Amino acid sequence: MLLAGEMLRAICPPAAARVSLALLLVFGTAVHAAELRIGNGGEPLTLDPHRYNLNLEEKILADLFEGLTAHDAHGRIVPGAAMSWTTSVDGLVWTFKLRPDGRWSDGQPVTADDFVFAFRRLLDPKTAASLAFFMYAIEGAAEANAGKIPVEDIAVRALDSHRLEVRLARPFPFFAERLIYPTGFPVPKHVVEKLGDDWVKPGNMASNGAFTLADWQPQGFVRAEKNAHFHAARTVTLDAIRYFPTADRNAAYNRYRNGELDIIGDFPPGEIAWLRREMADHLHISPLLSIMYLVFNVTEPPFDDSRVRRALALAIDRELITGRVLQSAEVPSPTFVPPMVENYRSAVTAVAADTDQAAKLLAEAGYGDDTPLRITLRYIAGADNKKVHVAIAAMWRAIGVQTTLHHAELNAHFAELRQGAFQVAQAGWFGENNPEHYLELLMSTTGDVNYGRFADAETDALMAKAKDAVGLDARLGLLRQAEVAGLSLDPVVPLYAVTIRSLVDPRITGWHPNPRNVHPARYLGVRAAP
Amino acid sequence: MGRYLLRRLTFALITLFAVVTVAFFLARAAPGGPFDGERRLPPEVEANLRAAYDLDKPVVHQYARYLGMLARADLGPSFRHKDFSVNELIGRGLPISVTVGGLALALAVVVGVTAGTFAAMARDRARDRLLVTAATLGLALPPIIVAPLLVLVFAVGLGWFPAGGYDTARSYVLPVIALSLPYAAAFTRLSRGSVAEVLGRAHVLTARAKGMPTWRIVRRHVLPSALIPVVSFLGPAAAALLAGSMVIEEVFSLPGLGRYFVQGALNRDYTLVTGTVIVYAALVLTFNLLADLCYARLDPRIRHA
Repeated sequence: MLLAGEMLRAICPPAAARVSLALLLVFGTAVHAAELRIGNGGEPLTLDPHRYNLNLEEKILADLFEGLTAHDAHGRIVPGAAMSWTTSVDGLVWTFKLRPDGRWSDGQPVTADDFVFAFRRLLDPKTAASLAFFMYAIEGAAEANAGKIPVEDIAVRALDSHRLEVRLARPFPFFAERLIYPTGFPVPKHVVEKLGDDWVKPGNMASNGAFTLADWQPQGFVRAEKNAHFHAARTVTLDAIRYFPTADRNAAYNRYRNGELDIIGDFPPGEIAWLRREMADHLHISPLLSIMYLVFNVTEPPFDDSRVRRALALAIDRELITGRVLQSAEVPSPTFVPPMVENYRSAVTAVAADTDQAAKLLAEAGYGDDTPLRITLRYIAGADNKKVHVAIAAMWRAIGVQTTLHHAELNAHFAELRQGAFQVAQAGWFGENNPEHYLELLMSTTGDVNYGRFADAETDALMAKAKDAVGLDARLGLLRQAEVAGLSLDPVVPLYAVTIRSLVDPRITGWHPNPRNVHPARYLGVRAAP
Repeated sequence: MGRYLLRRLTFALITLFAVVTVAFFLARAAPGGPFDGERRLPPEVEANLRAAYDLDKPVVHQYARYLGMLARADLGPSFRHKDFSVNELIGRGLPISVTVGGLALALAVVVGVTAGTFAAMARDRARDRLLVTAATLGLALPPIIVAPLLVLVFAVGLGWFPAGGYDTARSYVLPVIALSLPYAAAFTRLSRGSVAEVLGRAHVLTARAKGMPTWRIVRRHVLPSALIPVVSFLGPAAAALLAGSMVIEEVFSLPGLGRYFVQGALNRDYTLVTGTVIVYAALVLTFNLLADLCYARLDPRIRHA
């Protein structure tokens, strides 16, 4: 009941406490100047890089660990624990040269052995890593993860203490990008072997990133402190970071406004106008590498008829949704691959909304005034989503479609989608600077995240060819063709790329908006209060 | 008394067992599963996860295993918080909920009884009407409205208190006030009624006729008997305060039990949501039992045969 005691003291503070409180108020900011307080959007469910699943965990883990490749302050992919790497002519063998000065936070060197150990641990079925499949590009990875071959047979080996060789099952030019996820992070073999699952607890964990885990109060905060053994420790200016599990964006916003947080990644959308006026130097709005779309269940009427899908797609005015309904700089996208993906220029041509053509197609499919098309549109619960889908229903009403709206919270929504229990629904895909990452959703072999069970032989063939292409240009060319072929049948209606709305205290330095929304803390700083 | 206690404890255990069973199966009946995340899982990965948490076995087997663990006071591993067991999580959340709930209850009793007594003594006068109106408002305004308002005014507006967290003792001020308001209002109405009733009794009139100062009459002759209904309301109020702190914990970002309950339910964390439900049920049963026992002690007319 220590807390109760503190509480009573606060209500009637004795003189001494009052003085110390005053001192804390005066000097408090100076003392904690180099501690950054981040509203991280929710509670991490694990800080084990191999067991993680959530983006908010990725953010903390990327400050604690460093993979072979890493992000710079602008979200570009740069060498991390590996100084350099080479790729064989057939694109299959990747050889990484580790930094000689890489160290764990307990002072031990980071070796190629640690990486071999990490890949085997990730793919061991006993680890039950939910994102193990991120590394299925490696030869033997999928088989080992399914328990068909021993993890020792995965094609990852240490050539010497600082050289690592990885052999891929088929060419994958985007492998350097794939390695930035925590699933590609090394773990300290000497600690994990000694402590087992407890290696991840504060006090036990050794990490090789700019920071190391100091404390974790569940639902309270995660605290990381500067890692003195980090190879670039001299350039790290923050002493510590606290990540708060701000699941409620209203609460996070209030705490930010009250000066209790330095950075928050989300806030109530209704505040944008006020923030633009009053706190413009705090506000950052930028597009995220993502695509929000509608998906049709093509296995059942009415959406097994491509004319009906085309009609509904033609009735939607994307610019109206982003410009008038959402109004926070979302990027309308007629293409399924988000427009900000680097090195890729989609060959899909944008078609303007055309209600006449849409109505004509519907009539051809047998729907009209007497036999209107009645459908249910599912979306994820939330104020913004509601506005967007009410608007879409209104656009469809203009061509005589009667839409019933149905919303569910996130997990339930996607559970239904994966089971194919829907007619047309909202969906989204986030992530990579790699068109394949998005276009895979249109392959018949993709499984239940091809929610609408779309299957087209031409698209499948082009995707399969792209996946075997060695050269990047040839690969991108085939992907472009696959996107055109797939979208010509309207299995999905791409809508827009979402925006990230952040509030960043102007005292924070080194924070640069970027489409991946990554802000490694090793580049951040806190300017002394004026 | 001994037999009464035994009977009540038996019923409490049966109730708890029913709660465990319903919570166990209801949690699993909700759509979606604990491994649904932002990203899809291939079948082999999902199989690995299900095996790690015994979900590949028949549900009856899982239930029997869970009961076995419960018998050893083990609420199991959390499905979602992979680095903590449910016991560890509840062990950290419960003290915070108890602190906020206990302080709110104390504040509600002190404010409520004081205001109620004042109101009863000034019956039907302006002061009484003002207090009764305030109490009605307090009862009518749920914490989900009051809490954000308090934050807006005293944290974001005036900057007197933190808007969330639990770093300092000051962090507890706003959540305790927000949580206690409806109960302070309830205690006001309750004590106003009973104080007014006792004020009209013969022994009070006698004391007044003898020229005893009003405050002494209230303290010596009115409050002791007027407080019986207040005390009997303490049990249900304590249980409701603890269980009702979910909203407050969300608004003020307090890492209490309520947050685990909400997060556990949203994330389909079967063991966590079942574990919090069991702890809540045990608390409610305990407080109700305690209240009944206290009631008998205070009022000699009640006997538990």
